[in-house]
Amino acid sequence: MSHIGSSAIRSDAWSKVNGETVYAYDYKEAGMLYGVLLRSPYAAGKLLRCDLAKARAMPGVRAAIGAADMPPTLAGWSIRDTPLFARDRVRYVGEPIAAIAADSLAEARAAATAIELEIEPGTPLIDPEAAARPDAPLLHPDWKDYVPTAGSDFPRNGNIAAECSADPGGVDAIFDAAPLVVEDLFTTQRQYQAYMEPKSAVAIYRAGRYIIHSGHQFPFNLRDRAAQFLGVATTDVRVIGHAIGGGFGGKLDYSVEPHAAALSKAASGRPVKIANSRVEDLATANCRESTIVKMRSAVDGDGNILARDVEAYMDNGAYTGEMSYMASFPFHCGAINYRVGKFRAIGKLVYTNTPPTGAMRGVSGPAMYAALENHMDHIAAKLGADRREYRLRHLVGDGDTLPNGQVLANTKLLRRGFDEIEKIVPWRGAAKDRVPYKGRGLAAAIWLVNPLPGALSMKLEEDGTLSVITAATDNGTGALAAGVPQIIAETLGIRPEQVRISDPDTDVAAWDSGSQGGRTTQTIGLAAIEGANQLRAKILETAGQLLQVDAGTLTIDDGKIRIEGETKSRMALSEVAMAATFGGASIQGTGGAALPAVPFNPGCANGLLFPFFASPTYHVHYAEVEVSPVSGNIDVTRYVVAQDVGRVINSACVEGQIQGAVAQSIGMTLYESMRFADNGRLIENNLQFYRLPLAVDIPKVEYVTMELDNIEGPFGAKGSGEAPILLPPAVIASAVADAIGKPICKIPVTPEDVLEALDGDGF
Amino acid sequence: MTETHPVTATVNGREETFEVEGLESLMDVLRDKLHLSGTKEGCREGECGACTVLLDGKPVNSCGYIARAAEGREIETIEGLNDALSMRIKTAIVEAGGIQCGYCTPGIVVMLSGLLRRHAAPDERLIRQALSGNICRCTGYAQIVDAVLGVVQGKAAAE
Ligand code: FES
Ligand code: FES
Repeated sequence: MSHIGSSAIRSDAWSKVNGETVYAYDYKEAGMLYGVLLRSPYAAGKLLRCDLAKARAMPGVRAAIGAADMPPTLAGWSIRDTPLFARDRVRYVGEPIAAIAADSLAEARAAATAIELEIEPGTPLIDPEAAARPDAPLLHPDWKDYVPTAGSDFPRNGNIAAECSADPGGVDAIFDAAPLVVEDLFTTQRQYQAYMEPKSAVAIYRAGRYIIHSGHQFPFNLRDRAAQFLGVATTDVRVIGHAIGGGFGGKLDYSVEPHAAALSKAASGRPVKIANSRVEDLATANCRESTIVKMRSAVDGDGNILARDVEAYMDNGAYTGEMSYMASFPFHCGAINYRVGKFRAIGKLVYTNTPPTGAMRGVSGPAMYAALENHMDHIAAKLGADRREYRLRHLVGDGDTLPNGQVLANTKLLRRGFDEIEKIVPWRGAAKDRVPYKGRGLAAAIWLVNPLPGALSMKLEEDGTLSVITAATDNGTGALAAGVPQIIAETLGIRPEQVRISDPDTDVAAWDSGSQGGRTTQTIGLAAIEGANQLRAKILETAGQLLQVDAGTLTIDDGKIRIEGETKSRMALSEVAMAATFGGASIQGTGGAALPAVPFNPGCANGLLFPFFASPTYHVHYAEVEVSPVSGNIDVTRYVVAQDVGRVINSACVEGQIQGAVAQSIGMTLYESMRFADNGRLIENNLQFYRLPLAVDIPKVEYVTMELDNIEGPFGAKGSGEAPILLPPAVIASAVADAIGKPICKIPVTPEDVLEALDGDGF
Repeated sequence: MTETHPVTATVNGREETFEVEGLESLMDVLRDKLHLSGTKEGCREGECGACTVLLDGKPVNSCGYIARAAEGREIETIEGLNDALSMRIKTAIVEAGGIQCGYCTPGIVVMLSGLLRRHAAPDERLIRQALSGNICRCTGYAQIVDAVLGVVQGKAAAE
């Protein structure tokens, strides 16, 4: 029986449903102290004084530290622009200024209020477009001295933390001569990952090293970051991972771990736990960035797009993290899916006095596709063309290129996506089919899988089961709890339940690039096949010796050794394992993989830090909405997805990714508003105001998976967890616009937006 | 030292006495004093439902419930829900793939046990309403709702 494509039950399901799983937030150590951070109440200002003497004398306090107690080092994923504690200025509300460790949380909190702080408040820069102006005051006067983490610098200038631009020349002339120019301005707000388990860490300073327990998506990145902040060698930090209560990109970089580590050292090695409250977590999370996207197209009389011009501002917040890579996305997604002529783009990542943004599932994709696809609607409307027909007419085909020069293949999947949706819900775009206040949207996307490397090792245990040692993480998707065990089971001839996967430990496991960009099932799956094949060869060789037959005649079937052609098995795997182990050669295997780099044109753009779309996938989404003209409420009544998955490994997990990502993205589109007041304070500052989608809000998604042989993934599988988040803002905004007969150029689309658009002029 | 009060309540079928401080929440007592960490902390604001327990059979957010008020009452946490109905709910959620990160899962199982004890055959609308105090950020709810509908239909078929 094949294990590929089944709905095998994930290995962690029962411990989770029984409440036995210990998440990082639950993790405790004997003798543990409780840490809290004192965070800046101002979005901008000079830090004149931070006196910890009174706090240190408070009951129960074991350590109190601030910038003065740390090496004067800056850290960062892509550029070293971030201090562990604010030193002479504060740059966002919530920025850590000092930290306390005490016997109890209450004592730590009490001591934090005793810290004497003097801040001279400044005027915060909140709007990225304003902060990008040449005359805006600088958030980082020392920006020129900042060191790029990977070595080579990239285009940046003052408050522009990163810039990616492309100008082939001649674009203005085309616009000047074009019979039709369509121009749009789209905005999106931040989105909070809102993993249900807030961030936390327990850190211990012991024998000259830092041990960090965390529920982290990317332990090796945390090891790097903590070592940077603490000013120690990379391997002086050890990260041990625990069950992750959701991540969505929010747990890829550091949060409170280095602070806990520094506190533990200051407290003579007592373990220190810092656990964010939800309010703290929301206020300081590395949210998906807000964007402002200006998009223009020059169109000829036949509706061909002769040129496109995109200018985008992306809110970096006060520090950069990995955001400099995202500045490439306005370029990648400004002219994707559909053919355009000359393409000019500029993406500006801008420092503001707000919490640092970061990568959330799908990174900048949802904002960029919302802009692109609604812009396509507006062009079609100007031409009097049907939205679907116009898209199909200009859809890219094999041999077409992405803006980076990458040549596309298998685009038939994109066209097939439109066909699959058509089969489920025939398109009715004609004016005569319109029903007041009901609308439809249809949109497409091309996406990537994160290509970064990962490796693992595995060993056959004496009882014939298998242990896999890896630093890869399962943030909830089932990549390690279901997908990889199924892949190994299929390769080796055992059952998925016989595969056990370790928790990550950077001292033990080989490098892995973390659960991001849909990479784990695909890349760790490839590594697992390599390791399992090594293991298989060794098992058969040992069994051949024991049975005194040629190893080539043997096979493994349901955990037993069989001679090909015979039905009866000759030996259990446990016997092979025992013989090998006590013969002095335990059976072990290793594997490693990265997705192949894709040829692209390096001269296509300036500052293209994220150069290509590895292992591209194709997607089409459709939505129906009903809008209340009285309340402005929007109901998503139907949602359909056609998704290229390469090959399904676990059908229940793939469905979970599609249902969950669409829900999360409907949240971004309709409910999750995140705004800052002029003073830089967050307006939607708890889960009552930052409204997450509930069971009553979300329709059950109808979906079709599209499979196609793909040599770049295990059994053909491609990452499937990220892409379904890309299109709900695009299709729902389009459907709402269809329902009310007015364009929607803003995400989230709130009832107030609908009523404002309708004002005095409904259908 | 803060003043504490002894509270006696039945927790998962067993009488327990514990010392509570002033307005200490039931969630903190369960997690920190009784080491029942299956009751999850997601917000402490009464918004997420991860901390749901049954109090005299009714679902409550234990983060917002003052532990002293539990005196003499019966508390059931995820660790204690091993009755036939709860097992059917758990099995259905496991088999439907209704678990991803699992952080919301104990609270959801507790909520659903409470629901199905009171309503033998809730329809999808009622199930979704009942779950609207339990936020799941991972699953989009569909496979969880399918699992409950399966339990309801299985129950109907069995009766
Ligand atoms: S922790 Fe109680 S409702 Fe969220
Ligand atoms: S499974 Fe992650 S929050 Fe529900």
